[in-house]
Amino acid sequence: MNSKLLLLVGGVLLTGTASAGGYQVTLAGQKNNGMGGVGVGLSLDQAAMFYNPGALAMVRDRGVQVGVSATLARQAFRAENGSVQRELQNNTTTPFSLYAGFGPTEGKFRAGIAVYTPFGNKLQYADGWEGRFALTQIDLKSIYVQPTFSYAITDKLSVGAGLMVLALGSVNLQRDIPAQNASGQFASIELDGDAKRKLGYNVGVFFKPSDKLSIGVSHRSKIDAVVEDGDVKFSGLSATATPNFQATKFQATLPLPATTSIGIGVMPNEKLTLGLDVNFVEWSAYRNLDFVFDAPVNGQLTSSSKRSYKDALTFRVGGQYQLTSGLTVRAGAAYDDSPVRDGYVTPETPDADRITGTLGASYKFGDHFSVDLSTQFINLKERTETQADLISNGTTDRVAGTYKTRVVVPGVGLNYTF
Amino acid sequence: MNTFSLKKTWPAVALLGLAACQPELDAPRADKGSADFSSYVAVGNSLTAGFQSGGLASYGIETSYPAILAQQFAKAGGGNFVSPLFTDAQKDGSGYLKFFGLTNTASPIILSPGQSTTVIPAGETAPRTFTNNAADYKLAYTGNRLPSGLQELAAFTGSQPDNLGVPGISVLSADATAASVTNVVFPSIILNAAARGYGSINNYYQRLLPAADRGTKDYVTFIGQKNPTFFTCWMGNNDVLTYATNGAVIDAANPFSAMTDTTNFGRGYRNILRTMTKDGTIKGVVANIPSVTNVPYFTTVRLADVLANFQRINPAITTVYIREGSSTTARAATANDLFLLTAQTQLGAGAGTSPTNPLPSQYVLDPTEVAAIQARTTQLNNIIAKTARQYKVGLVDMNAFFNTVALGGIAINATANSTAFVRGNLFSLDGIHLTSRGYAVVANEFIKAVNSTYNASVPQVNPNEYNALLLP
Repeated sequence: MNSKLLLLVGGVLLTGTASAGGYQVTLAGQKNNGMGGVGVGLSLDQAAMFYNPGALAMVRDRGVQVGVSATLARQAFRAENGSVQRELQNNTTTPFSLYAGFGPTEGKFRAGIAVYTPFGNKLQYADGWEGRFALTQIDLKSIYVQPTFSYAITDKLSVGAGLMVLALGSVNLQRDIPAQNASGQFASIELDGDAKRKLGYNVGVFFKPSDKLSIGVSHRSKIDAVVEDGDVKFSGLSATATPNFQATKFQATLPLPATTSIGIGVMPNEKLTLGLDVNFVEWSAYRNLDFVFDAPVNGQLTSSSKRSYKDALTFRVGGQYQLTSGLTVRAGAAYDDSPVRDGYVTPETPDADRITGTLGASYKFGDHFSVDLSTQFINLKERTETQADLISNGTTDRVAGTYKTRVVVPGVGLNYTF
Repeated sequence: MNTFSLKKTWPAVALLGLAACQPELDAPRADKGSADFSSYVAVGNSLTAGFQSGGLASYGIETSYPAILAQQFAKAGGGNFVSPLFTDAQKDGSGYLKFFGLTNTASPIILSPGQSTTVIPAGETAPRTFTNNAADYKLAYTGNRLPSGLQELAAFTGSQPDNLGVPGISVLSADATAASVTNVVFPSIILNAAARGYGSINNYYQRLLPAADRGTKDYVTFIGQKNPTFFTCWMGNNDVLTYATNGAVIDAANPFSAMTDTTNFGRGYRNILRTMTKDGTIKGVVANIPSVTNVPYFTTVRLADVLANFQRINPAITTVYIREGSSTTARAATANDLFLLTAQTQLGAGAGTSPTNPLPSQYVLDPTEVAAIQARTTQLNNIIAKTARQYKVGLVDMNAFFNTVALGGIAINATANSTAFVRGNLFSLDGIHLTSRGYAVVANEFIKAVNSTYNASVPQVNPNEYNALLLP
């Protein structure tokens, strides 16, 4: 059952346009997706392995669940000195999650394995857009595999931990080079590499003092995605420019930052569940994007681009209501404080503060099988940076202009419990 | 029942979300402010004409800063703008320099029409001959010669165009009434007569003038025939640059080869602005004169590189010899002497290797000459600023702008650009004139001044959409 499902989702395109601040993707559970992304203070289902491993022991059912979302991003960009509105070309991605939880029916522990895509980003800008020398397209993927164990110390307090394995990480970056050949065409560079396998941890504590209240705290550690042997490819270089562009390999490190969360669950009655989460993401780890090349790129063996991200908070609120024995409906909202400072916005993460509204529903077919549906409507604030901002920050390796992005993320999940 | 309605409505909700999803950003508001761009005229020299890589061709005229300005003015009520293009059969105009690649010592191989050279190209070991075949150009020469000896260019047919830039023209040569005093060795009567007959001296002016006017109509009279609602004027560069590019050596045969004195310049410049503003009633902006020390023509050939090239042939050489000013003896060059770009040919032929074979004066500016040129540039820019105030037009401080670019470069949409020769993107193969991208950068500087002077909102252009040097 397990491996079969894994194969199923493996066929789907991986990861997604960041659905939380920066390039973080917090779409790990379809029920949670419908409730503004809350989950740290709740014990809804197997997705607790992601949100709060400590809550897993309090999840009544054991089972397998799989979910997939589609991030449908639409963006408008106007350069400070551009005449037309630029729109993204191809940007739909499909972050997924897979959970399998086991344990004795009345025992104090639960074990499980989680597969999810916590970071990712895919953007393809319009041909000839003003920022082409900063970026023409990016595809960043990550898949974490997390064996998890959770133990209920008392019937009110449980703890859990998971070993996060960065099982698959890859990056593909492309941009144009401002050197024109004899026919006026610009050259381009493509950086493509896989991250080394790395380990981290996801730990949590869950406390449920009464039937009406639960509290959770969780922490996912930072993993540095290190590409040691990435490929560099040039195209369209003129003979005169070629001696300056000789690299074939690159090294780079991208931090996948630590996230600490606190969540509260309130259950006024049996049918209604409310959740409130706050996430603290240590984005300040992302200071610079540095590349080291084996041979010159534009005459240089290294390149460094300022990021200077700041730590950021996300506030989430959501709830679910059981309408009938089969149908549960959900709604929620979230506010993301962007980790990207003013004047530091880059085309690969055209981030801004976000306001998200979510809807969701589940329907149970019999005792074992249920379907979850969710949709998120993410609205990024319009964000402008001027050339003067870039000059004063020393960030002129990106483009001045105004970004406005909206993302719709429909998702579907299947649950089999036993 | 519940599942049924859920299944039906969920995709509909998703589609609704998608349909509303594409955000729209309003186009920046274009506004003419208190200016009127309905009829725009540009006056100036080679920089205004769109001269690049040592020549004037249709491509350069089409990407001149006035053409770019007119295109942007059109978004704020601007009207038709006629550029004096060459015909398609003669689109290469005067011809221009071409770039053939780099030598094994990383010098660019740049050839004028008909020129050839034999060098070892980069990445090769044996010398190879490069020829810039003149037959590859669609030139606009008629086969006749002007009284000055220059080849006559095919006349622009049609009514007087709106880009009136004339390569080579100075304030002194533009106005037959400018000179009231002798400039260095040239008496005012000679200067004024030459300005009056400038159409038979300068073939770029000749091609714009009706044949009957060639010997009689000076530039100020010619531009006074236009009735624009808005104008730009970038003049005065050649009042110092002609002298500087000739290594601070006066050519007795050319009355405009000395730096223009402040008295004559002031008279000429005031006449130009009085004419263009119709006595202070027409709006416009004027640009001043950049410093020669920010131009690659004077900064590319450096003493250390010259010495290194000498030492490749004779390691014993430790000095580059020059002869400067009125001195009859050679002296050792220092890092403060500016070698001109054109000195490369002389140096390559061995000039400068010994005291008996020094590099001639016209290929070097010594510190005294540089200081004199800088001082005169400042004086003339003061006159330009004062006259602009007098006629209530805006000022584009190109001097300050190019100082900034020379110091720290200019970033344009994630590209780095500088005043460096070949690599800097802004200057063309002649080291003095700009590339199309450079002209677009200049157009943006004009737009900033227009916007601030007349409270207008003319949108800037993206210079990266204009070609820099094309690399073979």
